[in-house]
Amino acid sequence: METMVQLDNVSKKFDESYAVENVSLNIKSGEFLTLLGPSGCGKTTTLRMIAGFEKPTSGSIYINGKKMDNIEPYHREVNTVFQSYSLFPHMTVFDNIAFGLKMKKVKKEEIEERVNKVLKMVQLADFGKRKPKQLSGGQQQRVAIARAIVNNPSVLLLDEPLGALDLKLRKQMQLELKHLQQELNITFIYVTHDQEEALTMSDRIVVMNAGKIEQAGTPYEIYEKPQTRFVADFIGETNIIGGNVTEIKENYAALEFGSQEVYVPNNNYQTGEKMFISVRPEKIHLHTVQQEGKISLKGRVKEKVYIGSLVKWIIDVGNGNEVKVQQSASDVEDLALDTEVFVSWNPDNSVVLKQ
Amino acid sequence: MDRMIKNAYSMLSPSLIWLLLFLVIPVIYIGVISFTTNTGFGGILYEFSTEAYTAAFSSLYAKVLWQSLGWSLLATVLCLVIAYPFAYYIAHAGKWKNLLLLLVMVPFWTNLLIRLYAWIILLNNHGVINNLLMKLGIISEPLSLMYSPFAVIIGLVYGFLPFMILPIYASIEQLDRSYLEASEDLGASPVKTFLYVTLPLTFPGILAGIIITFVPAVSVFVVTDLLTGGKLLMVGNVIKDAFLIEMNWQLGSALSILLMVLVLLSIVIFMKFTSGKDRKFLI
Ligand SMILES: Nc1ncnc2c1ncn2[C@@H]1O[C@H](COP(=O)(O)OP(=O)(O)OP(=O)(O)O)[C@@H](O)[C@H]1O
Ligand SMILES: [Mg+2]
Repeated sequence: METMVQLDNVSKKFDESYAVENVSLNIKSGEFLTLLGPSGCGKTTTLRMIAGFEKPTSGSIYINGKKMDNIEPYHREVNTVFQSYSLFPHMTVFDNIAFGLKMKKVKKEEIEERVNKVLKMVQLADFGKRKPKQLSGGQQQRVAIARAIVNNPSVLLLDEPLGALDLKLRKQMQLELKHLQQELNITFIYVTHDQEEALTMSDRIVVMNAGKIEQAGTPYEIYEKPQTRFVADFIGETNIIGGNVTEIKENYAALEFGSQEVYVPNNNYQTGEKMFISVRPEKIHLHTVQQEGKISLKGRVKEKVYIGSLVKWIIDVGNGNEVKVQQSASDVEDLALDTEVFVSWNPDNSVVLKQ
Repeated sequence: MDRMIKNAYSMLSPSLIWLLLFLVIPVIYIGVISFTTNTGFGGILYEFSTEAYTAAFSSLYAKVLWQSLGWSLLATVLCLVIAYPFAYYIAHAGKWKNLLLLLVMVPFWTNLLIRLYAWIILLNNHGVINNLLMKLGIISEPLSLMYSPFAVIIGLVYGFLPFMILPIYASIEQLDRSYLEASEDLGASPVKTFLYVTLPLTFPGILAGIIITFVPAVSVFVVTDLLTGGKLLMVGNVIKDAFLIEMNWQLGSALSILLMVLVLLSIVIFMKFTSGKDRKFLI
């Protein structure tokens, strides 16, 4: 597939600090790409540079192969769904959606037809005559999407479009958006700081931190194979274990973890080297007796949280270290607090992190 | 809810009493006087008479009334044309914003009367403007700038421009920039964005500006007094003279009431025209 949007070493400096620093990214045509990261990491700034509202301090952006350095926002083939929707309050829903087409001098009958078609698509067929103020948050949000997609943009930029909605509506809109994107085959660049949203919707996720890309990959790669501590910590819950390599045994390296040991698949590690690994709580098992096999840490039940389908445990494994464990409720043995337990996991399920 | 309203009234009561004492009662009083009988030299006989209105509708006064409305309307339009770009510029002036706003407000600290004297120096036959134009050889005879409707319009525009700038500035300042970005995002050039988004969304400011400029402009009398030496009249002059020189309180009151009715009427018509059907004429 060809590249639709390319960021070539793009940086943006505000005053003396970088909001975005040396970001390079190729976004394929028809891809659903999500920028994910904590507040202030530069997601909106990146999006605004693609839309043309901010000029990069250095580097270039290409859309459809064309360099955008001196192209004004109103000449770019992208449309934006703004976080606050920014629907024109003085126009009806119909006029809001028709605005882009009017600017392009599309014929009146065609405008009518296309606007009515997208209104149907976002299930607001009867709302054309209303003012934005007379709509619920979810309806306004759909108008904002309709106003953008009616122009058949090559790229749709969405800045936390679901941020203002309640959880249930958000889940529903996530699915609707995903379907819409597949149906229309538009390239989506989607900004969110909700990791679950990113995981369910995206073809590819770009995790940003402090203006830089930490990792880019499929949701599976981001969740199962985080490369950095930041990504492992930011996406989902995890246990991050840091320790020195004490010895290399066959294909495994042993790390000291308090007074006990854990193992990771060896990859030319040296004894004495300090390493960090991430193990997801759902990859960890809980036993009442010592296990055969590589890893079996002795500990005590410190906390147990029942959340319906799942049970979360916090196990104190000594020396001030804790391990988070998650089991499905059906697997749970009812252990009292302070019971002696053993936690184990398959060393192959741990991920070694870059510093 | 009821209690809140009661509380609101009790808190507002000092200003309500003020309004009653110094606005409502005087207006009623003037209304009453306008229908009494004139016994000469400011005398008031409480006997019903429409004599004052018959006089007020005579061609002399009616002409002044229309003339005042016409001049103030023209001045208001000119103020709007000058003030909008000015206000727009201030709202986008970044760190200079406060200084520029201050400069707009400085004239308020000096009486209009005194500021108009400056215009006499500029406009009169041997004034700065005529001298300059003659020196440059553009004219050979001094233009009679004073004593003309031109001078009146200049005086009105000059005097009331800040009233137009401030509300327009406020509405531009409050305008959410994301609407402008949304407009550009949808393919509208800056000019179109201005016409289709900025202008309609700052319309409340324009409306407020027009009203608070037009209303005081129509009744002002110092402008004609000073810049035309009383040769040209606005309704304010006539009312002042009726009270103070002719001592005809009935006529002065009748003219005041007529002026008030006309101003209110024009505001109502104006609002009807502009706010009906969502100001479609702008889109
Ligand atoms: N116009 C601006 N002037 C100065 N600094 C800015 C400007 N816009 C953004 N910044 C700074 O750049 C950094 C990145 O901001 P940005 O809005 O891109 O973050 P974000 O990832 O979208 O965060 P959020 O999730 O809170 O929306 C922040 O530190 C912010 O303070
Ligand atoms: Mg943001």
